[in-house]
Amino acid sequence: MSSETEVKGCAGCPRSAKWQRDFPIEWDGDHYVTRREMVKFLTLGSLLLASANWITVVASKLLHRGSKAESNIGSVSDLDRNGSMLFRYPTEQDPCIAVRTPEGKVVAYSQVCTHLSCAVVYDKSEGGFFCPCHHGVFNLQGQPVAGPPTRPLPRLTIEQRGDQLYATGMEA
Amino acid sequence: MSIRTQGTTLFAAILVLVASAVVLQLWLLTVSMEALLGGEYKTLAPAAAGSTLLLAVNAGLLRYVFRFDRDIRGE
Repeated sequence: MSSETEVKGCAGCPRSAKWQRDFPIEWDGDHYVTRREMVKFLTLGSLLLASANWITVVASKLLHRGSKAESNIGSVSDLDRNGSMLFRYPTEQDPCIAVRTPEGKVVAYSQVCTHLSCAVVYDKSEGGFFCPCHHGVFNLQGQPVAGPPTRPLPRLTIEQRGDQLYATGMEA
Repeated sequence: MSIRTQGTTLFAAILVLVASAVVLQLWLLTVSMEALLGGEYKTLAPAAAGSTLLLAVNAGLLRYVFRFDRDIRGE
């Protein structure tokens, strides 16, 4: 191919679409990015990515801090043995469920299913939590045992002071 | 093999290493974001530490490139 039919500075590039003439590209300059410049550029990107990773850590601490508040959720007498009670914690937008197990122990979890965020309900007969949307089942430890959910329900820490029950935090 | 040819090969290898580390960091960030949105906070700090380690490796390689150039110029 003669030099007349090639784009200036780009051996083998055929000359000529109209847009190429209207918007010529300086191929020599465009191709001249040295390996050193590329390594510098990538290292800068690496710095940004590491920073973004630390930002996720800080964000998680900030999100977690909100769940450290203490809240009275009711009295033990409100809960029958093998019964359940609904409440909100740590904010009014976070539905939770407390259950008094057949052994008399009180456990509480977020009521939001870890599959697609439907509200789980306590199933007395099965002794676990049931999500009616997609038939997900969690046991009394909050672990998924059947259906689509793969992650456990977030567990709340509960303290009993006299007859009163207090939610004191939410585990991840 | 001349020093220039050695340098070219060396820098190509360094470029591949740095690029691989950046891809790993990108993957770590993706995993971290998914964990953050899923409420699984335990994996975030180790992922950030791993990303910082890769950054240190990249910075070390970049420093090596600068020192190599300086030595070649005889400064």
